[in-house]
Amino acid sequence: MSDEVATDGGAVVESEEPASGGSGGSALSRLRERDDFVVVASAAALVVFPFLLVDVLGAVGDVIGLSIGGYTGLPSLVLIYGIIVIGFNLLLGYTGLLSFGHAAFFGSAAYSAALFSQIVPSPLLMVVVGTLVATLLAWPIGFVSIRRSGVYFAVLTLTFGQALYFYALGPGSWLTNGDNGFSNIEADGLFLGALPFDAQLTPLPILDSYTVMYGFAAIAMLVAIWVGNRIINSPYGLIFEALGENEERVEFVGLNVFRYKLMAFVISAIFAGVGGALFVIHEQYIHPTTGLYWIQSGDFVIMTVLGGTGSLVGPVFGALVFEYVANVVSGVSLPAIGSIGSLWRFVLGAVFVTIVWVFPRGIYGAFADLAALVNGGGGEGGDSTDPAATDGGERE
Amino acid sequence: MARDTTALSRRDVLKTSGAAGVAGLAGLAGCTGGGGGDSEYPALGNYPVEGDEVVFGFNVPQSGSYSQEGADELRGYNLAVEHLNNGGGWVDDWEDLSGEGVLDKTVTAVEGDTATDPDTARQSATRMINRDNAIMITGGSSSGVAIAVQGLCQEEKVLFQCCITHSNDTTGSECVRYSFREMFNAYMTGQALAPVLRDEYGEDLNFYQLYADYSWGQTQQASMEQFFTEVGGWSQIESVPTPLGTSDYSSYLSDVPRDETDVLVLNHYGLDAANSLPQAIEAGLDQDMEIVVPLYNRLMAEAASGSIDGIFGTADWNWQLEDDASQSFVEVYRAEHDRAPSYGARIAYTQTLQYAAAVERAGTFYPPEVIRQLEGHEYSGAGLGEESMRACDHQAQRDVLVMQGASEQEQTEDKLLNIVSQTPRGDIGYACDAGPAAECELGEYGDE
Repeated sequence: MSDEVATDGGAVVESEEPASGGSGGSALSRLRERDDFVVVASAAALVVFPFLLVDVLGAVGDVIGLSIGGYTGLPSLVLIYGIIVIGFNLLLGYTGLLSFGHAAFFGSAAYSAALFSQIVPSPLLMVVVGTLVATLLAWPIGFVSIRRSGVYFAVLTLTFGQALYFYALGPGSWLTNGDNGFSNIEADGLFLGALPFDAQLTPLPILDSYTVMYGFAAIAMLVAIWVGNRIINSPYGLIFEALGENEERVEFVGLNVFRYKLMAFVISAIFAGVGGALFVIHEQYIHPTTGLYWIQSGDFVIMTVLGGTGSLVGPVFGALVFEYVANVVSGVSLPAIGSIGSLWRFVLGAVFVTIVWVFPRGIYGAFADLAALVNGGGGEGGDSTDPAATDGGERE
Repeated sequence: MARDTTALSRRDVLKTSGAAGVAGLAGLAGCTGGGGGDSEYPALGNYPVEGDEVVFGFNVPQSGSYSQEGADELRGYNLAVEHLNNGGGWVDDWEDLSGEGVLDKTVTAVEGDTATDPDTARQSATRMINRDNAIMITGGSSSGVAIAVQGLCQEEKVLFQCCITHSNDTTGSECVRYSFREMFNAYMTGQALAPVLRDEYGEDLNFYQLYADYSWGQTQQASMEQFFTEVGGWSQIESVPTPLGTSDYSSYLSDVPRDETDVLVLNHYGLDAANSLPQAIEAGLDQDMEIVVPLYNRLMAEAASGSIDGIFGTADWNWQLEDDASQSFVEVYRAEHDRAPSYGARIAYTQTLQYAAAVERAGTFYPPEVIRQLEGHEYSGAGLGEESMRACDHQAQRDVLVMQGASEQEQTEDKLLNIVSQTPRGDIGYACDAGPAAECELGEYGDE
């Protein structure tokens, strides 16, 4: 699909659609843009998520004889990565910048939150401090890297990330405890430890995957979705999207491209910082390889592309699939093949190739196509090509 | 910590209800009467074990630089499980063990891949603890991994039995109450190796070190420096870090000053050593100086083949040892896998049986009681003569083998190294207030 044609076509279709298109489709899309609807829908999803992931899958696993259910820590982990990739997608999916150094923001936030917990063991303040450090770090790194684009930008961000990794592992080990990992994190619960993170939210034994940590991560997730949605649906976010489509045109309009790109970079780093601080609260441990190594940045890219760039919550599905394969599928033992173990990256690769091949717009894109198909089939037969065209327009 | 959520909170509820039980225990232990062993302790970690099965978690590297070690460890673990359930091997010789499971429960196992990465290892262990209810985790083939996982196990109140981890920090500055180590450490390697090298190569020499830049390599090079300097009166020219997983060492090796250096110490392990040693030989460094590889393993010896001829190092254990325990282990292992076991397999096997025997002695899976049974335990029958699991730092006090590489003609599939000496445990080790142990604070049992 060539750039220009699609963009022009998209513009035409979009402007026409509200006038000519069916009432159902546009009403839904208008609803989708409303903040409160997005937040309420996400909250509903977050309420059922751990139950589905841990208990329902666990029950299914018992029936088929494979342990495919998650464990209680997994839902929070998925949300934490989800928050990061929502921000990462603002950069990759909307602004079109591929950063390979976001581990730097994730890791530095994690380490600074961990160090801060030694002074004040408050999870909320840890998140604030971690995010602040990530933001302050993103400014200079962005300032230098944004001057180049494409591969050069990716490699520059990668370089900064790796520099921090080597610092944390070697010269900075007086601060980070180096290769032994940092585990003296002094935050076990909210409100001065009155609500331990591993306590349950409800007394019902059936809902034991709903913990204080999950609630904490879920609230952070809702805030992230709300903020992400605000940004995307604001004029400011529109410029991000425009930058992703055609930088030159944005420049011709008279906007300062550099400034907007830098802001997109910093905003995505803020999300990564929140995620990093939450990660260290959740794990109670951080190691240079986890926090700062370039593979972590690569994982963010994979999650985002897998879930689907160009939609707000799409990447969260990518985070879900990634963490599920890494943490659950890797422990599955198949009758004929034996234990999957180290093959989990292979499994992930197969999933990735399949998804990207069959559904170029990722998992979320697949859902959207499916919904469009159902809607189109149910409504007017003649319109069935229309959603596809619309999607094609939105995609670029 | 945060991840164990369900289990822990369920435990918390039980803990509160069992608070009376704790008080009772402290005051009138035994007076609970009729308590059939397991019901007398409050819930802790994955205790109590429900059902007829008990789950062990084997967390080994199945990918990454140490994956061959991991495969060997798993062979040892699976052999241990089989013997615990059905008898055989050392289970028949150790009086604590019955060969009918552990406390009449059948042992089952779950496996995970650490990928030689601390966080992957922790997530894998978390899954075993939370979802599979593993009562004991064991494995690892990197000190970074062992330290990360033992920290998690301390929080979760689940026992961790270290497998291959040679860093001083594991039972030194990073030690925890819930972890025990059968393997020796870099400090003991230095103590065993230095006198042999002094006798062999002489005094007042200059040595130059390369070391893998992570937890193990760092403490390893520090220990070498300490003992070569103290024992042989040698002096260090320089000690250079190399990144873990380096495949080309030529730039590091070309920096070695050939005229001044008498001994080159390669503190590398596994695949790293399999790369650095042959490259050093190829560069002709062995013409100008002696080369030492402080910690041998089979993978490295196999890959380096002819290069190890005459090179000194240490090993945890070797199948050529002639005591009954070693021979009986070699026999059962060979029957199963058709070759001699590596020391990784022995540690895996030993650590699993050690845990099971401690549970039998304690008469319960309740972790604090099991820990107390392991602490200060004197044992033999693990292939290295008399050993003890020291209470103050959970480090086994045991003999250390000094090895020398066999010549290429001498080498067979199993025999790659010759045993030079078995340094008795009395000659090595350190007091509880010295060496790495001085930095160790074990933390809580969980029933205080």
